[in-house]
This record gives sequence, structure tokens and C-alpha cells, in this order.
Amino acid sequence: MSATTEAPPAAVAAPAPPRHTGRLAGLMNAVAPRARLVAIVGGILAIVGSQLPWATFVLNEGAYPELATLPLGFTGFRLHLVVLGLATIVVAVLRVPAVHRIVRALGIGATAVAVINGLYITAEGGGLGAITASDGAVAFGAVVALIGGVLIILAGAAGGVEPRPELDWALPLWIEWILLVVIFVLMLLVVAAGLTSGGQGGVVNPYSGAVFLSFLGAAGGAFAALNASGLLGYVATLSERHRVFSVIVLLVVALGLPLTSAGTEYWMTVASNIGVYAATAIGLNIVVGLAGLLDLGYVAFLGIGAFVAANLSGAAASTIGIHLPFLLVMVISAVVAGIFGAIVGSPTLRVRGDYLAIVTLAFGEIFVRSAQNNIGGLTGGANAIPNIPAVAVGGFKFNDSITIGALRLPSGVMYYVLIVLLVAGVMLVFGNLKNSRLGRAWIAIREDEDAAAAMGIRTGPIKILAFLLGAMLAGLAGAFFAHKTGVVAYDSFRFLESVTLLAAVILGGMGTIPGAVLGASILFVLPEKLREFSDYRLLIFGLALVLIMRFRPQGIVADKHRKAELAEIPEDAAKEGPGPLPTSVAP
Amino acid sequence: MLSTFLSQIANGLVLGSLIALIALGYTMVYGIITLINFAHGEIFMVGAYGGLASMTYLLPTVITQRWYFALPIVLVVGALVSILVAVAMERFAYRPLRNAPRLAPLITALGVSVALQEAVRVFYPGATAAIPFPDLFIQGTLIIPIGDGVPIRYTGILLIVLSLVLAFGLERFVERTRMGRAMRATSQDRDVARLMGINPDRVIVLTFAIGGALAGIAGVLYGSYLNNINIDMGFQNGIFAFTAAVLGGIGNIRGAVIGGLVIGLVKALGGQYLPGGTAYDYVWIFVVLIIVLVFRPQGFFGETERVRA
Amino acid sequence: MDRKRTVVATAALIAGALALTACSTNRTEAGGASSGSSCDTSKGTLVVGFVAPLSGGLSALGLGMKNSADLAVNEANQQCKVPGYKLALQAEDDQSTAQIAGQAATKLASDPNVVGVIGTLNSSTAQSVAPILAQKKIVEISPANTNPSLTQGDNAASPARPNATYFRVATTDAVQGPFAAQYLVGTAGKKKIAVIDDGKTYGAGLAAAFAAEAQKRGATIVASEKVGEKDTDFSGVISKIRPLSPDAVYYGGEYPVAGPLSKQLADAGLNIPLMGGDGIVDDTYASLGGREGDLATSVGAPAEQLPSAKAFIDAYNAAGYKEPFSTYGALTYDATNVLIAGVGKGVGTGTFGDGSRDAVLQAVQSTSMDGATGKISFDQFGDTTSKVLTIYQVKGGKFAPVESGEFKAS
Repeated sequence: MSATTEAPPAAVAAPAPPRHTGRLAGLMNAVAPRARLVAIVGGILAIVGSQLPWATFVLNEGAYPELATLPLGFTGFRLHLVVLGLATIVVAVLRVPAVHRIVRALGIGATAVAVINGLYITAEGGGLGAITASDGAVAFGAVVALIGGVLIILAGAAGGVEPRPELDWALPLWIEWILLVVIFVLMLLVVAAGLTSGGQGGVVNPYSGAVFLSFLGAAGGAFAALNASGLLGYVATLSERHRVFSVIVLLVVALGLPLTSAGTEYWMTVASNIGVYAATAIGLNIVVGLAGLLDLGYVAFLGIGAFVAANLSGAAASTIGIHLPFLLVMVISAVVAGIFGAIVGSPTLRVRGDYLAIVTLAFGEIFVRSAQNNIGGLTGGANAIPNIPAVAVGGFKFNDSITIGALRLPSGVMYYVLIVLLVAGVMLVFGNLKNSRLGRAWIAIREDEDAAAAMGIRTGPIKILAFLLGAMLAGLAGAFFAHKTGVVAYDSFRFLESVTLLAAVILGGMGTIPGAVLGASILFVLPEKLREFSDYRLLIFGLALVLIMRFRPQGIVADKHRKAELAEIPEDAAKEGPGPLPTSVAP
Repeated sequence: MLSTFLSQIANGLVLGSLIALIALGYTMVYGIITLINFAHGEIFMVGAYGGLASMTYLLPTVITQRWYFALPIVLVVGALVSILVAVAMERFAYRPLRNAPRLAPLITALGVSVALQEAVRVFYPGATAAIPFPDLFIQGTLIIPIGDGVPIRYTGILLIVLSLVLAFGLERFVERTRMGRAMRATSQDRDVARLMGINPDRVIVLTFAIGGALAGIAGVLYGSYLNNINIDMGFQNGIFAFTAAVLGGIGNIRGAVIGGLVIGLVKALGGQYLPGGTAYDYVWIFVVLIIVLVFRPQGFFGETERVRA
Repeated sequence: MDRKRTVVATAALIAGALALTACSTNRTEAGGASSGSSCDTSKGTLVVGFVAPLSGGLSALGLGMKNSADLAVNEANQQCKVPGYKLALQAEDDQSTAQIAGQAATKLASDPNVVGVIGTLNSSTAQSVAPILAQKKIVEISPANTNPSLTQGDNAASPARPNATYFRVATTDAVQGPFAAQYLVGTAGKKKIAVIDDGKTYGAGLAAAFAAEAQKRGATIVASEKVGEKDTDFSGVISKIRPLSPDAVYYGGEYPVAGPLSKQLADAGLNIPLMGGDGIVDDTYASLGGREGDLATSVGAPAEQLPSAKAFIDAYNAAGYKEPFSTYGALTYDATNVLIAGVGKGVGTGTFGDGSRDAVLQAVQSTSMDGATGKISFDQFGDTTSKVLTIYQVKGGKFAPVESGEFKAS
């Protein structure tokens, strides 16, 4: 068992404190020589803060979670703070590799927990008195924890952030397998805990949003710390080494979600919707992420798939009125959507870049308009196509609950299983395509179409193929969507939905396989968990798009190729001549 | 029916001049930094709300009751609000991305568009639904006595005249003035322009400001013409305006105006004479857009086929 | 020196922040908010679910509905309408899309304390919400859905109720449209009518029902046009119908379009009345361009003749909500009260549990009460039996009642 770290041994033994320049340089240089000490102090403060009272009184909306008005408590966010603080102290004392990087991540987690809970109590309590002192009661928990968190971040940043160590232990095969299983199961449990943290929001439980955000902050800090320590990188290496095994385990683990605390009908429904959008987003990822063709009307393909499935479902409102088996319907939906994809993609033969984006947007608008006007009697127009029967195999309907012995699975679980398998299949297709000859051709077109053509790639058919395949995936998802939702209406497929899909792809990371799934999950789970902010949902969404493009255009999971490509282009390379502004005044 | 045909022509011309005003901003920004500024439609919407705010909250009734006082003031206020938002948008959203790959600013523009629309909805009182907008010009309708009569509102005539005047003025500005020359130089080659002593940042800000001003004026005129505004007006008209800019040959001022008029006429006449009627009038605009982009991507007045990757 | 200054600045900042802690709070411990502490709430809290668009373009209507439901819940708490329990409203956003509405419904359905759900606004969202709630025997009462198939099933010839737990206090298009036609063709004597709608479920359905009845009564529908739900410029449509010289326009849709449409009709020289359904009855209709003499139908007897309606309006204004109650406020208020009364009756002095759901359903089905919109009871399909409608006309910038009557199919 050998641990190799990139960091030179000198950095571990007696690192020369780095010199800082720029803003806050003075403070940073003051902290730098005693960074670990500051980190330990910060950790202690975070723990102390967690044990002080957090609120001076019982809030009007109801008591804040974790007995916030009382000192001492080892549950919920207070437990998270204790763990983060202890971890900081341990890491700082033990001087593990990349200590400052880890400490910084832990500090960010602690700060997030302190800020989120502090802000909530302040806002609900009607002022800073709620978290400091009021009517003789004192509660400096949030303040102390915040100071602790900031000190930890400061210590980490000032001590000089090391490069991430790259760990690679060679273990016996079976140990590595067991390790992977354990890690994936742990991941599942964390996800389930995150989904159910704070319980279901609502009037009876007014602070579910705060609890969820706080959990997110703490988990994010811990995750970043693990990443900084190189352990996550190790897991990635490990799963790369046992690729097939990991994929199977991951699939099994995902199918295990109904058995966890998140196995309620509600989360099954949310997860199914996420699955629909994830599958569609992966399709969009082929078009945008791989082939570099921006499509602004993509949700239309989901709609086409859904309307086709609705018409073939035997729903009374459909004019065709034939009922085909679900699997066949899925295939037909995918094929029809694919044909439309090829039609929409055909202008790519002549139109490029921004112009293509506008053409696709026009197609999307035409679809919505036509669907609203019940074109050909196929879309139900304003009345939509309601009462689409649930998928049934034999006598079993997919929206029934299942009871196996003492185990009772919520209704909707079969839909969940179906969508997980569907998304897995779509991911498989995407993964294989990406690394195939075709995928490389797409990437070549994305990078430089003319160069690709010069290399002998037949760019025209290959671009149309991207649209066709992407649309087919969306059509598949649409067929599922129609049966799960039970109604297909034109207003599910408006422009904003296309933007949401695009945002999912970008947020997750363009061109990557897990990116689209991750992006879709985030865009669905956050509004569900934070329904109290629903009035600001779109405002935040718009601003988030701007900020992501500004600060992390490569998304959460960065694609290797993309990473290189999205790096700032040097000034002169960017000037491939924006078109002139010809003011051709002369007749 | 001749009078119906002429009425639809009149409707098309009014809508077309409005779209032309917005399209000018699109075409100039695209010409300078090759960015489809999706949020430009929202600049138009913000201008209308800014103008309305000045009428509702700022100006005394002495002024609001007399259109010849109110109109210029509200136009200026609307234009200023739009300029402010446009310049802020350039500074904080687009400038940091100037050297980023093409997709990034386009997606940013989408984000700005959604955010601006929602910001108005959340923060402007009553903006969740349509808001009444006062008449800022001679009230009433001119009925041209042909056949059954061809009605056109005085405000509509004002819209047509004003947009033509502004477009003409803009063309002269770009063609004749020093600053206009700097704009043309920047659009051709930013680096060479910089070597010639032009500050490209200033030119770009100016471009956004001019586009914003025109959009703001368009917003106020639009409100005054239809007597109501809503937060969705920006997106739809923005798309039309972009279509118009492409139709006319992007970067071309005269083209934008003619493109706008064509769009207006397509909508009015398409709703009248094409199958599906008014339910499909938007569809025809997009069909025209697709046809033009596929068969003549450089537009009516574009000179060369430009490769945009 | 630089370092020293930074440290000093930081210290000053922290000191300032601590000084700011000058105890400002909204602490009001006793019993929480305005809910009358006189009631016994020892058995806990029951939740009234609510699903409507609370974000995006339709939020004006959705927020008005939410506030009205909130008002009813607060009043019920003050009047101890459900003995032993405190009621709480849980409003969920459906983003006007079916799949999000389904998610919201599932969320509510999995909460054992949810006694019923008020909503939705759009008929398409109701299509996905109603089956989910029906599976759990949770009562849903919609104040706004007008699509007949929600209660009568897909086959109009042989109606069958799809969801036994779904009720609505809104009248369907099949009542309101013909009632308007009877007045406009019969009483007002208009024979050449142009029909315009906004292509949404409510508007398109209403316009179709109107047109069918009007033709039956001998009027000619000279034109059938559509406008976009977000349009503001209707010159194209108007120029199209102008040469057909209609003597009235019937508009299926809501006031943000109807007001400007009416004004633009007059601007084009068409000084003919515009008529619409309850969607255009709003205080801002006239300020948006609605003209004197424009007509509308609305469900129930006029508010001025109903003390309960006035009471609702007064209470709403007194409660100081940020948004107006809008088109569906009164109906939402009634729907909420029907649900609360049903819960009160179904639970009685016992405790609420899954076993009480049948009793609540029975109680709602047999509702008979006077609400802000008139008398409310349900037929075997869950539709309101109230067929009393009122014709309104704009007089002095406001909708004033002209005549009330019971709708009789002819």
C-alpha cells in the first residue's frame, strides 16, 4: 500500500508561508505563518458556536429546528457544525497532505451552515436581535460559528492552497470491488438524506427549506474536502479501472432509491420527472455538447414524442384512438421525433452558429403554436389530451403500489424503475456514441467545421444525424412522459422549457455523460425543496445562467475536451473577424 | 376587399416600423460584437415600463394631461431607462465574456432576458398582468375614405414617421460622424481599430446605448399605440425584430428597417389571407425566417455570405 | 502598514456588526399569528392543500386565488370551524404545467394531514392532479376549471364521472357560453356576431359553447378568430372582421386581452359591444380599454345583492393582501369554505385520519351552503348545480349587474 502525493515532502514538513498579493494581502500574510493554528481556533469556534443557543426566542412561525433557543445539541445542523469543526482540527493537527486545501473546503461548509441558519432565523425573527441578544436572552451561536468558519477559510487560503494530491493505491481486486460498492451505497444514502432533509416543506414544517440548504452547505463542504484530499479522485480512478463493474453497481444502487428514506410516492414522481428531463437533456447534449449545434427549440421533440404516445395510448380524447403496447409506442415516438429532428436539422446544411440557433427557435415556436391550435386534430389544442392510461403489463398498472411480503413500495415505483433503466440506456448510447468514430466526427465539427470537412468528414449528414439521434432520445422520453403525467398539453413545451433543458446541460457540464443528469436533477430538486421562494424561481434561474457563464462555463462536471476549449481564448485568437458593420448606404 | 387589404397594410406598416426600431439595436450590436442579444427585446419592454413609471409616479397632472409636454418627456425617460439597463447589461454580463466561446454570451443573453422579465414582474407594482398605458399623442383614429374606410390611429402614424426619422438619423450618424466611423472600424476589426486610436470599449458601450435608446423609444410608442403593456411584450417582439434584422442582412441599418416592415406585413396579410387565419400569423413569420436563413442567409442587403461558426 | 490597516478595518467591521445587534425582532410569543387562540386546537394541525400557478405569467390569477383561500382558512380558524384542529393552508406552485402540478399533487397526497386540495387554475393541470388525489380519496375542489370532460368524462354523449373526489364551483363552458348567447341574441337582438378567443382551455371552450348556442338561436357567426394569450396588438384580427360588419363581438378569454381588444375595436371604428365570460369581469377591465356598454356573464347573483359577497370583498380588503383577489378570488374563497365545512362535518368531534376521508367526501358531495358567489351544491358529477348567472354591463367604468337568471338549456 503506497500513497503517492504530488506535493513535495518539503511542503508537508515546514512549508514556507506563501506571500500574498492583491486584495486582503495584508491579512493573508499576517495569518500565513500560523495558518494551522488559526484553523484550529476556527474549528473550536465552530464547535463552540454550534453549542451556543442560535435563536433568542421561539419564532412566530414555529420553533426553529434543533431546539435552537437552548444551548447544547448534537442533531441536525449543529451536528454538522461539530463534525466540520472536528474535522478541521483533526486535519490541521495531523497535517495530512493538502491540509490547507481541505481546511478551506471545510471552512466554506461551516460558513455556509452558519450563514444559512443565521439568515433564516434573522429573517423569520425580524431582525438581528433574533440571533444575538434580545429581552435578556442571548444566542450568539450563528455569530460565533460564522467567525469560526471565516477563520477556517482564511487559514486555508492564507496557508497556501496546495495542488490536489493524486492518490492511487493498488489493492486486491475484491477489496476494490467492495470499496466501490460501499462508496456507491454511501452516496445513495447521502442523496436520500439530502432529498428528505427537512422533511416535506409545508405549513406544518416551515423551515424545511432552511434545513435543506444547511444540509446542502454542510454536505458540499464535506464533499469539497474529500475532493481536496484526493480521495474522490481515487474513487474516480477506481471506478475507471473497474468501469463495467461500477456502471452495474451504480445502476443497482440507483434502483435502490425506493428502499431508502426517499422511497415515497412524491420523490418517485419527482425522480421520474427528473429522468424525463435528464434523458431529453442527454439528447440535447449530443446536439449541443458534442456537435456544437445550439438548439433553442429542443423541447419540441419531447412534445412530439409525448403527443405521438398520447395518440397511440387509447386515450379517449385522441382522434386516432388505437392502443398499441407501450414498448412499440416508445419506438414509434422515438422514430417520429427523430424524423422531425432530421427535418429541423436539415437547415444545418446551410446555416451555422447563431443563425442555426434562431432557426431551431423558430421551429420550436411553430410547434407550440401548432399544438395550441390542435393541428390536424392530433394535439387536443387547448383541451390537451387528458386521461392517458397508465402503462400496464398484464393486469399490473404502473401507478399501483407494490407489496412484496412486508415490504411495501410506493406507487410510482415502477415508473421510477422504468425511467432509471431508460436513462441508463440513453447514457449507454451516449457514452458509446461519444467515443465512436461518429462522436469524434461531431467533436471535430464542433471544434472547426471547415477543418473537419477538409479531413474528409461528410459534415452535412453527420450534423443531421446528431439532430436525428438527439431527437429520438427526446422522443423516447416523451412517450414515458405522456404515460406518467397522464395528460399532454401544449403548454408543457414552451420556450422556457427549452431554456431549462439547455441550462441543465450547461450546468451539469456540456458534452459529459453524468453532467446532463446532474443538471436536470439540480434544476428539478432545488425548486421542489425551496418552494417558499417560488415567486423568485425564474429570476434566480435567469441570474444563475448569467453567473454560471461568467464563472464556470464548463459546468459542474467539466468535459476534458471542453475544458480546453472553454478556457479564455487569447485576445488575438478570438478575433476571427466579427462581421463588419456594412452600412451600405450607397444604393 | 380593397379597404380590408389596405387596413391590413396599414396594420403591418405600424407593427413593422415598431419592429424596425427594435431591429436597429439588434443589427448594430450584432454588427459590432457578433452577439445575438436576446435580451434586447427586454430592453424594449423595460423602456415601456420606465416611461409608464414616469407618467404614474413622477410627472404632475399638468404635464400628463397635455400630450405635447408629456410625449417628449416620457420618450426621454423611457430611452434613458433602456440605455441604463442596456449599458449595465453590457458592462456586467457581456463584457467579461468578450473572448469566451460563442455559446457563452448567447446563453448569458437568454439568462439576462429571463431575469429582466422576472425582475419587472416581481418588482414593478401590478406587472403580473397587463397594465394600462396612457395615450401620449392625439387621440383617435384617422379613417382614410377608401371603400369602407381604412382606419389608422394617429399614434400609429407617429410611430411610422418617428421610426423612419430615427433610422435615417442613425444611418447618417454611422456614415458621417467621427464616432460612426469608429463604429464601422471596430466592427470590421477591433484590433486594427484599437491601433488607430479608437477605444473599442467605448464604441461598444455607445452601440448598446444607441440600441437601448431606440428600443426605449419603441417601448413607449408601443404602449401609447396599444394603451397597455405586459412583461411578455419584449420577448415576442424581440424575436420578430431579430428576424427582421436577419431578413434585411444583419449589420445593415436600411435592411433592418425594410426587414421590419416585411415582418409586419407578413403578419398582417398572413393572418388575413393565408390558411389558418390569425391563429397561425406568428407561424408565417417564422416560416419566412427559416426560408430566408436557408436560402439567403446574408439577407436582402447582405453583401457576402458570411461564415459564422 | 498595509497589513495593520486591513486588520484594523476588519476589527472595525466586526465591532460594527456586533453593535448593529440592537435588538430588533418581531417576537410575539403568545400562540403565534392571528389565529384566534380562543379555539381548541389540541388535536393538531390539518392542512388545506392548494395548487395553482404562483410563478410566471399566470401568477396574477394564482396569487389572488391563494390569498382568497388563505382568507377562508384564517376565518375558519377564528370561528373554530373544525373542532380541535387548527387549519393551515399549504400553497404549491404548479408553474402552469401538468407535470409540475402532478408533483405538487403527489407531495400533498403523501401528507396524511392534508384534508383536501383547492385548485387548480388550468384545466390541463387539473387533468394530472385529479387522478392522483382520487387515488388517495382526497377531495379536490376547483374554483376555475371549466373543461366539461373533467367531471363528465371524455365521452359527452354518455357522461361518466372520472374522479369521484373531484368537484368544482366554477360553471362549465356548457352553461356560461349558452347563457351569454341567450342574452346577446335573444335580449340584445344581435344577429351578426364575431367570435374571438385566446386559444386556451377556458377561452376556446367558452367561445365554442357560445357560438353553438348563438347559431341555434338564429344568429350568424361572421368570423371565428384567435389571438395569442399574451398579445397586445389585435389590429390584424380587427381589420379582418371589420368588413364583415358584425354588430357584436364575443370574446372567450380573460381581461388583460379583452380590455385592450375592446378599445382597439372602437379605435378601428367598430363601435359594437364586446361580450365575455367571468374571465373579463375585473376592476381593471375598463382602465385597460374596456368601453361603456361592454357585456359579461358571471356566475351567481350579483355581489351587491348578496351580503356574503360583499362580506368577502370587505374581509379581503381588510386583510391587506398585496395582490388583488382577481377573477377567481370569490370562487376560491367559496371552494375553500366548502372544503372546510365538509371537513368539519366529516370529522365532527372525532379525530381525522384516513378513515375520515370517505366522510369528508360524503359531506362535500352533499354540500348546501350560501357562498360569496351564491348557493353552492354539487350534482352527481361534482359540478356545481348553481345555474344562476348574472349579465353585467360596463357603466361608469365598472361592471354593473343588468339581470340575473337561472340558465335553462334550450
